Amino acid sequence: MIKKFIHQFASPKTYLYQINRAYKYIFYSSLFIYTFSLIWGLLFTPEDFVQGNSFRIIYLHVPASFLSQSLYVAMAIASVTYLIWRVKLAAYLIIAIAPIGAMVTFIALSSGSIWGIPTWGTWWQWDARITSTLILFIMYLGLISLHTSFSNHEKADKLLSWLVIVGFVNIPIIKKSVDWWSTLHQSASITLTDRPSIDPSMLYPLIGSIIGFFGLIICLVIISSKVQIIKRESTKSWLKDYV
Amino acid sequence: MFNLAFKSLQEAIYMSGHGIYVWSVLIIVIFCLFYAFTHYKIRLRQLKKRLDESN
Amino acid sequence: MRSWLGPILLFILIMVSYPLTIEFLEQDLEKGFYSLLWISILLSMMFSTEDIFLEDYNDGSLEQIIISSTSFPFMVAKKILIYWLMIGIPISILSFLFSLGITQNLSISLFLFPMALISSYIFLNLFVFGTALSLNKGSVLGALITMPLALPVLIVLGKSIIAIQFGINYLEFLLLLLGCLSIIITVVPFIVSYVIKTHLE
Repeated sequence: MIKKFIHQFASPKTYLYQINRAYKYIFYSSLFIYTFSLIWGLLFTPEDFVQGNSFRIIYLHVPASFLSQSLYVAMAIASVTYLIWRVKLAAYLIIAIAPIGAMVTFIALSSGSIWGIPTWGTWWQWDARITSTLILFIMYLGLISLHTSFSNHEKADKLLSWLVIVGFVNIPIIKKSVDWWSTLHQSASITLTDRPSIDPSMLYPLIGSIIGFFGLIICLVIISSKVQIIKRESTKSWLKDYV
Repeated sequence: MFNLAFKSLQEAIYMSGHGIYVWSVLIIVIFCLFYAFTHYKIRLRQLKKRLDESN
Repeated sequence: MRSWLGPILLFILIMVSYPLTIEFLEQDLEKGFYSLLWISILLSMMFSTEDIFLEDYNDGSLEQIIISSTSFPFMVAKKILIYWLMIGIPISILSFLFSLGITQNLSISLFLFPMALISSYIFLNLFVFGTALSLNKGSVLGALITMPLALPVLIVLGKSIIAIQFGINYLEFLLLLLGCLSIIITVVPFIVSYVIKTHLE
């Protein structure tokens, strides 16, 4: 039964119909959660006494930096499915996710560097996490530029999925090596990993903003995958019925 | 848990000096999300229109 | 294989232009030299893989090779090896000479030599993957895409210099690089052959 479900879902047609039904619920609920927890976080949580009010950026920064990596993982899973089972939908998803991943990584980078000004006193530091996020951003841009340079879409899909897989293998290595490298330069600074146990009044809006942002990004992926499907399957007859 | 952290709107915007950072990040995030959604929506509409015309 | 001189010349030019950009102060020369050395090895390797498949692709012999030979990955590995022999080894020797000339430190230069040998081979493999991805689309694209993948190697190389200077665990770095190399040598030819087959489909 699961197999049948997956087979059905893997065809762009059923995907499109199913996703259209779910889209509205996901969009409005996640928009509500996101705005609610942002207002909660930005205006109602008490001030942090180490960082002052600038800690409120956490509600904008953490969801983005969290998603920037999980989107790459999603791309890697999609590209493995595409290369092994030749599921077309997976190929559409890869190129649908790539620009969104670049955008999310950009949000994470820019918000992080703005956050750095009041807390670290500098907007950029060659810290392990920042550097590996920057490399991730460059990789997203590379993926997009690779895909746009080929007019033959199928070829571009295959090449792209190879690059995504090789890059995915490399991401933990980059993280590890960057970690390793920065231990030499870096004195202790405030990082997110060793933050002291967080107060529930700060934690709940954080969880809410992560969930809400996640939902919004899923909506974005849905729309952009719709764009990809309509663009690539424009000759199919079912699509004309759909439109 | 739901007590306002600030006494007035002025104070909320100023955030004891950190307001500019917080609000600029908020603006960036909202701008990016808004831009992405409208971009894809417009693109989708264009593609649908083109499909309609080809029919 | 005509262009084996080009990358070597590029390397020499970068190395020569380095002291010219700093005023001739001996003690300052050594400071930035090593990082420049690794980056210029990276760049010249990038430059050398530019046309590794392009000519064969354009005259159609790449297709024939794939059809006729039973093991295309092996062919790719051989091709990379030849490139390394023709470009990588001369560049490593040159990097030894330049580091001897600029830093006047024989022991560090001797330690640098195997590092340069191994890292140039690693870079070659990575950039061949990039060139294969962007086969007929110009090599800049492929090189740019695979640059981020080479960054960990650069980090290891940068750290190894400090290890050499303080005389601690140099061998570990060498073995780490060798381990990376052994994985990359075995994996890259297969991926490259798949990628090229995708291009020719």
